[in-house]
Amino acid sequence: MSASRRVVVTGMGSVSAGGIGGTAVVAQILAGATSPIRPVRAFETAGWPSRLGAEVDDAALEGLLDPGAARRLSRICRLTVVASRLAVEDSGVPRGPALGLVVGTEHGDFRSSEEFVTGYLKRGPSGLSPMIFPSTVMNSMAAVAAIEIGARGPSITVNQATVAGDLAVARAAALVRDGRALAVVAGGVDEMFAHVYRRLSEMGMLSPAAGRGTEGCRPYEPDHNGVVLGEGATFLVLEDLESARARGAVVHAEIRSAAWGNVPVAPHTAPRRRRDLHSPALRALVSAGAAPSAVGTCYGSGNGDPALDDWELGLLAADRLPEPRSLASRFGQHGGLGALRVAAALDRLNKVALSPTTLVMVHGLARGGCRTALLIGRAA
Amino acid sequence: MTRVVVSGLGVVSPYGTGAKTFWTGLASGTCAIRPLTAIDTEGFRSRIGAEVPADVLASLGPSRRRARADRLAMAAAREALADADLSPTDRACAGLFVGAVGGGMLEAEAWYWEETRTGRPSPRIGALRAILPSTHAETLSSRLGLCGPKETVVMACASGAASLALGLDLIRSGAAPLALCGGVDALTRVCFMGFNALRLLDLEPCRPFDRDRKGMSIGEGAAFVVLEEAGHCRARGGRAYAELRGAGMTTDAHHVTSPEPSADGMVRAIEEALTAAGRAPGDVGYVNAHGTGTPQNDRVEALALARVFGPGRVLLSSTKSLVGHTMAAAGSLEAVASVLTLQHGLVPPTANLRVTDPEVPFDCVPETARAVELDAVLSNSFGFGGQNVSLVFGR
Amino acid sequence: MTQKEILDELKAIIVERLKFDPRRAAEMTLDTTLPKGIEGSLGLDSLDFIELSVAMEERFGIVIDEGQDLADEFRSFDSLSRWILSKTA
Repeated sequence: MSASRRVVVTGMGSVSAGGIGGTAVVAQILAGATSPIRPVRAFETAGWPSRLGAEVDDAALEGLLDPGAARRLSRICRLTVVASRLAVEDSGVPRGPALGLVVGTEHGDFRSSEEFVTGYLKRGPSGLSPMIFPSTVMNSMAAVAAIEIGARGPSITVNQATVAGDLAVARAAALVRDGRALAVVAGGVDEMFAHVYRRLSEMGMLSPAAGRGTEGCRPYEPDHNGVVLGEGATFLVLEDLESARARGAVVHAEIRSAAWGNVPVAPHTAPRRRRDLHSPALRALVSAGAAPSAVGTCYGSGNGDPALDDWELGLLAADRLPEPRSLASRFGQHGGLGALRVAAALDRLNKVALSPTTLVMVHGLARGGCRTALLIGRAA
Repeated sequence: MTRVVVSGLGVVSPYGTGAKTFWTGLASGTCAIRPLTAIDTEGFRSRIGAEVPADVLASLGPSRRRARADRLAMAAAREALADADLSPTDRACAGLFVGAVGGGMLEAEAWYWEETRTGRPSPRIGALRAILPSTHAETLSSRLGLCGPKETVVMACASGAASLALGLDLIRSGAAPLALCGGVDALTRVCFMGFNALRLLDLEPCRPFDRDRKGMSIGEGAAFVVLEEAGHCRARGGRAYAELRGAGMTTDAHHVTSPEPSADGMVRAIEEALTAAGRAPGDVGYVNAHGTGTPQNDRVEALALARVFGPGRVLLSSTKSLVGHTMAAAGSLEAVASVLTLQHGLVPPTANLRVTDPEVPFDCVPETARAVELDAVLSNSFGFGGQNVSLVFGR
Repeated sequence: MTQKEILDELKAIIVERLKFDPRRAAEMTLDTTLPKGIEGSLGLDSLDFIELSVAMEERFGIVIDEGQDLADEFRSFDSLSRWILSKTA
């Protein structure tokens, strides 16, 4: 990280199956013990290999939207708009050219793409909806959220499997550190859409993969057998420390360093034994001037995908980092999960009596080798 | 301030393969926009675009089983890396920034069309594995052995330019000495149908900045550059085409499709890039415009340029008049065009320009390329949804 | 078609394509104004008008030329339905 700029977190907003709200609500959800994973209600799953998911309460979501203003917003855009607005309200960060936005997503707005092409397939060219077309481009969530929160600095959408939220936070930390924005609203979003759910399930990506064992989310456990999908949007407000102090913001924690990189394996694979010669986790530690022993807790992106879980365990062990904890069973796998893990890190730092130098790592790894590492510490 | 140079170029364009072929096409002012053949255009008002010719596509190294966009990306990326003459060690620490929008959507559409029309499962379903925009970065990082930060940026029409801006930042931060940056988009039915539905396409080849312009023309392609820390490049005897001196990234936060009429977002992006580059408007001799040919974009972009440079104070031209709007590839194709403009001292023309719009108070270099000594070039990419990126290149 | 029938078709388009709430559409009348910037109007912007034009072409078979300035015609359901009547007569 640049010696001149330090990056802190001053607020958050979250919409998930666990609930909807800012820092206080997220802390409550994290403190609870229940998992919101249950049989999917939004669409019929009969005949599909999987049937579980962690769904957002649509009535609660709609209650936070003005129907007129939200008229043209697709569902995933609604999730993004509400969560980013909650984050900005939670932190009090001002609108304007110094406010940026980074949205991470794995699947984007397939619902709108499907609706758009169906118009043509059913009725020909005049059946196409020009209004829906912008939503078929993955940056539409960021575009509408930027309008909602008045973010006129850089607004970026990053697409990545599994760790889109982690990547978004790392990207945002870099934007602040590099002076492109004084504050950046950063996080991820995905929604459960029937067609995507069905195809992933049929491809064997969801529990129970290969039809073996009970369907469920059991990250890192010996009987893990696949991913359970969730949905939602979670955004953190990352801010330049001096700027945050100058406006009297509440500083929850500091992002001491953020690093990301790639292990060059074949796409969609997670080879358990492949080592990482350029570990971002170790680079993040070097950047923060800390040793692996300074990391008291590690949150990992493992989500029950057996090969990915095992590969992550191996890489973390090789870096001498603590065994990871997962939040996947609390929220289901979706783009917002990375930001939720950072929220958990903040929560842990502020709740548990740790030594002031203890760090929490939020680690991410995806099939295909994308690897991320965020080091969170108490704000001095 | 760390200096970052462009040390490798790779292009697949509607003219064919290679950066040289691309430059020859631009310099000769050849318009590559013609009736589309890769997709069915029956029943649509605008049926033209700038396609990568079928024989060129067939000649690309990567297997025909791969998605079209993946093949374009691989060919362009490989050329850029070979052009930069990087060692495997250098390659290993390179960051990878890919601007993408359509991903493997073309092949996924073929699957969905078949399934919907026949009512039976289609074996083309394998296309779904490569549908996402991130698919290119996955393919490239794996095949090319890249271990640095990997990121897929989706910023509509500004994606290709954003990839260079982020690569610049990465190198300046010291996180990596070099980065492979670029954008790619293949034709898709969704894009073709969507811009038709929005009435943003001209039925004839687009005419940016022309008084009688009626809209854009779509295109496809891929362009990658190697960005490298100047000292690192020198030490290994690499070649520097030009320097990427600065980048600006802003958002209009105004409307999902229309640009902000005051041009504020565009102005801020341009000024941010100039400031970062340590350049005043007067130092810039040429602007490679976003120049889509829509009535709105060209008018607002001209306003932005008038506000920053003053009317008539800079040359501008639109690469999109020659190779169409290549979506996520546009920003990186135009970055390559800007670099080669500087290198050759030759400004590519705006094709199809007969009468310049009086609201565009600039010499837009109509039809014929022009020899001009240049110190700095500005390249603009103003994405759908009001996401703006400006890049400043210097010699 | 009568003007009332056209109004009903336009309201259906407003719901199906412009995503307005059906209950709100039920209350719309010929006097309801459409464009953003008029107090009490539906607040339609340029994107909405393109959608409306495409839907009108599909439903009524009228070809709308982008070159024309139809600001007056699109002001209210009354002016719009009269215009559609004149085009389909």
